[in-house]
Amino acid sequence: MAQKNIDVVYGLYDDEVIMMEAVKKANSDHLEIMDVYSPFPVHGLDPLLGLEESRLHIAGFIFGALGTLTAFLGMTWIFTKDWPIIFGGKPYWSVPAFIPITFELTVLFASIGMVVTFYTICGLGPGVTNPYLDDRITDDKFCIAFNKSEVESSAAESFFSATGASEVNHKTI
Amino acid sequence: MNQFVFKSTVKTFLISFMVLGLLCMGITWFSDDELHTRFWTNLLHNSVFFTGISLMATFFIAVCITAYAGWHVQFKRVWEAFGSFIYLGIGLMVFIALATYFDLNHLYHWAGDIEGDKVLEGKSGFLNKNWYLFGTIIIGGTWIFFYNRLRALSLEEDRDGAGVNFAKHRRMRWYAGFFLPIVGFTSAAMIWQWIMSLDAHWYSTMFAWYSAASWFVAMIALTILILLYLKANGYYDNVTQEHIHDIGKFLFAFSIFWTYLWFSQYMLIWYANVGEETIYFKERMDNYPVLFFGNLVVNFVLPFFILLRNDTKRKFGSVGFVAGLVVLGHWWDYFLMVKPGALHTAHEVAAHHDHSHGAGDHGAEAAHGAMEAAGHGAEHASHFVSGFTLPGLLELGTFFGFFALFLFVAFTSLSKASLVPENDPYLGESLHHHV
Repeated sequence: MAQKNIDVVYGLYDDEVIMMEAVKKANSDHLEIMDVYSPFPVHGLDPLLGLEESRLHIAGFIFGALGTLTAFLGMTWIFTKDWPIIFGGKPYWSVPAFIPITFELTVLFASIGMVVTFYTICGLGPGVTNPYLDDRITDDKFCIAFNKSEVESSAAESFFSATGASEVNHKTI
Repeated sequence: MNQFVFKSTVKTFLISFMVLGLLCMGITWFSDDELHTRFWTNLLHNSVFFTGISLMATFFIAVCITAYAGWHVQFKRVWEAFGSFIYLGIGLMVFIALATYFDLNHLYHWAGDIEGDKVLEGKSGFLNKNWYLFGTIIIGGTWIFFYNRLRALSLEEDRDGAGVNFAKHRRMRWYAGFFLPIVGFTSAAMIWQWIMSLDAHWYSTMFAWYSAASWFVAMIALTILILLYLKANGYYDNVTQEHIHDIGKFLFAFSIFWTYLWFSQYMLIWYANVGEETIYFKERMDNYPVLFFGNLVVNFVLPFFILLRNDTKRKFGSVGFVAGLVVLGHWWDYFLMVKPGALHTAHEVAAHHDHSHGAGDHGAEAAHGAMEAAGHGAEHASHFVSGFTLPGLLELGTFFGFFALFLFVAFTSLSKASLVPENDPYLGESLHHHV
């Protein structure tokens, strides 16, 4: 999180269906939603918020391909140039024997690469403390947050009471 | 539209393809060698392939019921329709088994004279005509029984409602639970008998899984094709991109699973380098190189790279294209499992005939001649043998005939019940399915 000290007004909802309706209303009222927090992924929320499909899997593919090449070219170099050993009368360059390791390294690179990419993009990691709005959005509450510099406090509050939020709070994060 | 109408134009279309198939089989029979190997292998190949698809459809219904899955419920009638081919499929297999029993074909080396053949004598407890015939009848009958029960309960549920506490569904769960381990073991036993024993001296512990995976992928691909066809004709409006996406994932995942098994089998044999095991791959790589490597391209490389992206699994064009490719690809895979072994057996039988001819005059020399003939047979295969080295037009015609037959049976079954099982307890979940 590059930005600091954002004044936020947020409403907590008890149910994801009510929250989804509220998001639809916010869209039609042209209220700019800063973010929505939920304890679990809510189906159909992404298109409502206008979020594009994640490009994380492109990174995953690139890391995976990198892993494939590392393993395959690495073994090729080791077993043909660096330290050729005959195993069971097989040729030095024994492609079938390379496949399992190539597969493993593809998976390893793709998974680790994606985790690192994801953590970097989200600003997560060991020793990093990220501000959060409310404990209960990791448990049973669904939260819609507005940035006060984009949405008037009073407009947000009337929006929350109209859409059935169970609680409205202000916070600076 | 909740009732599928099997239009007479479609019927005519399918029947004309069935006639084409019959015609091709007839031509194959009359243009064949004296053993009619090409005819019998084509019959076996297609019967096993489509019987397997129908078995896998029933198997997958059982899997979904046992796993408390709900997403598929809207279109589970399609799988029930595929499953209905099992009656005819087992009928065809029993026909082949009877023909083997009465020595009318020479598909299987073990079914012939195995005297002095230590390996086949050792296997004769399992690889014999009685087992083949009665295994086909008993195990096939078991599959039919379970399919019949699952289908009947599904129809009852439609008619009478789900019952108190979803009694019908619980009953189905009971049958499904029993069916799973049974199909796990019996499908392996039948694959050993029907397919693996074509290469009678050879065996592989991976083989049953590998061919069953081939069936399964073909079934999934065919499901996609049929669903797209039905949607294009105005049925199944509620089967959306989301459902197709999930079946597309199955297609993707199980194509990889198939490749995993294919490769595991290949690598273990390659690594161990035991002559009696490597012969299987040597035969195929030397004499069928295009089919052998093309098999991997069609069934792994193309589905993998095309379906890797999220959106290609959701777009009907791309997922339908891959599904069509993969159905053909696994038919091709079965071609490779069936043909080389059967061709080899045919050559051996021919050589054996030569052997018994000359045996009276000069024993040792004749034996030598037989060996030469067998060697000549293997050599012969390295030249182009139409219908064996590559699927010829007659093979394709037979395939289309069987395909049309399969679709005819499936569509007939589909038209006998409502397309969406209205009283299935998981219907709501299926209607709201979202990935």
